[in-house]
Amino acid sequence: MRNPLTLTINGEQHDLLIEPHWTLLHVLRGQIGLAGSKENCLEAECGVCTVLLDGKAVNSCILLASLCAGRSIVTIEGLGDPEHLHPLQAAFVKHGAVQCGYCIPGMILTAKSYLDEHPDRMPSRDEIREAISGTLCRCTGYQKIIDAIAAVAAERAGKGAQEDAP
Amino acid sequence: MSFQVHHPQSVADAIALSQQFGDAGRFIAGGTDLVIQINRKRQTPAHLIDLNRLDELAGIAQTPDGFAIGALATHKAVERHPPFQDALRGLVEAARVVGGHQVRNIATVGGNIANASPAADVVVPLLALDARVSLVGPRGARTLALGDFLLGPGRTAREAGELIDCIHIARLPQRSATAFLKAGRRKAMEISVVCVAARLTLDDEGRCAAASLALGAVGATAMRAGEAEKALVGRVPDDAALRDAAQAAAAACNPISDVRASARYRRLLVEALVPRALRICVTRIREGRT
Ligand SMILES: Cc1cc2nc3c(=O)[nH]c(=O)nc-3n(C[C@H](O)[C@H](O)[C@H](O)COP(=O)(O)OP(=O)(O)OC[C@H]3O[C@@H](n4cnc5c(N)ncnc54)[C@H](O)[C@@H]3O)c2cc1C
Ligand code: FES
Ligand code: FES
Repeated sequence: MRNPLTLTINGEQHDLLIEPHWTLLHVLRGQIGLAGSKENCLEAECGVCTVLLDGKAVNSCILLASLCAGRSIVTIEGLGDPEHLHPLQAAFVKHGAVQCGYCIPGMILTAKSYLDEHPDRMPSRDEIREAISGTLCRCTGYQKIIDAIAAVAAERAGKGAQEDAP
Repeated sequence: MSFQVHHPQSVADAIALSQQFGDAGRFIAGGTDLVIQINRKRQTPAHLIDLNRLDELAGIAQTPDGFAIGALATHKAVERHPPFQDALRGLVEAARVVGGHQVRNIATVGGNIANASPAADVVVPLLALDARVSLVGPRGARTLALGDFLLGPGRTAREAGELIDCIHIARLPQRSATAFLKAGRRKAMEISVVCVAARLTLDDEGRCAAASLALGAVGATAMRAGEAEKALVGRVPDDAALRDAAQAAAAACNPISDVRASARYRRLLVEALVPRALRICVTRIREGRT
């Protein structure tokens, strides 16, 4: 039996009819047509399904959609668009941090959540590494991803580009 | 997979639903344990009772003698709670190694306890802190020592209809510190092979006035190493005292061999991690970061 559910996704309200066991990822991809959030392990291990729930990164693959009523959901589609890239998106492009791209939506939202959690300080490379430990990339080897996140963090901390070695 | 999800707006309604559904019902907080268990068909509840709208269960509050951690407090909230950064640092150290950030942002302390995994990380420092679990149910409220609440893998003293409301911990005396160490197969995103929490209070002569050691993933539930604690009290925490505590802890634990590690390796880890955790406590007390 489907139940009515209203979700706020990227600032827009969606009135839906959902099965009780549907996850947020299933609703985003299958019902709304937002395919930026990817689907892989479905066990919260890989992070490709990461979205922001009230600003915090969570794994949408194990999050029941009905638990998200009344909360704000942001997907990669809500972060920027080709004309107005989010600083993290621009930095990933500039630093060549993207190969196949499958992990990148989750990676950028994971990074955004972490940087928003620590607005006033410049995280070390090790801290950035730990911050993205729940989001796996099988292509890049992470160095350029960390470069891109560090560049945005440095800009925010007002210190200019960070130059320390990988 | 077929279940209904209910969204009670009050604790009383949540309890009533749980009582009505009995074994066919489960509470759901972050769902990071439960949804995976349902997907793997290890659990097949017909009804999920969503606790997330119960504001009474959220947040971390000061009490006259310590803190009340709401069952819905996330691991991230514990990790970032300013009053936990000093003497209760061991709690922060456990909360910050639960899964990755995405899990910590939604998984709750109440779920970590109620799920009753022998490897639950935050349970271990809570046990070392003599935490008490506050439950509310059809017959009213009661409080149990965490050690009495945990009965075995997946088994607790929770009665029909009861939910965890909050977890109480007492403020530590002067010259106290805590520490938590976790050994896994990799640095992050890993279930504990062994974890150890220590709490130490030193007197003015530098002797152990109180000592507490809790071990995770080396028995049916997280456990206290009582003999190891006794080996410390009244002594200066020098190498000999720490060695005695380490050996007593290794002898007291009851690990199994599984895909993650052998029983022998787990015991060796206990023997190595106990003195290391205690040394961290001593350093923290001496540096006055408590
Ligand atoms: C990728 C991944 C990595 C993980 N890594 C770790 C780790 O390193 N260390 C670790 O300890 N855990 C880990 N976990 C397990 C899990 O995240 C934690 O145990 C978490 O704290 C569970 O909380 P939850 O709110 O998600 O619980 P839920 O899944 O919502 O609930 C778990 C159980 O507790 C019951 N329950 C929940 N709240 C209450 C309440 N208030 N009263 C009564 N019963 C209740 C539910 O009915 C259910 O049976 C990991 C999980 C994942 C998916
Ligand atoms: S698909 Fe969600 S974490 Fe892998
Ligand atoms: S770019 Fe291919 S998985 Fe990260």
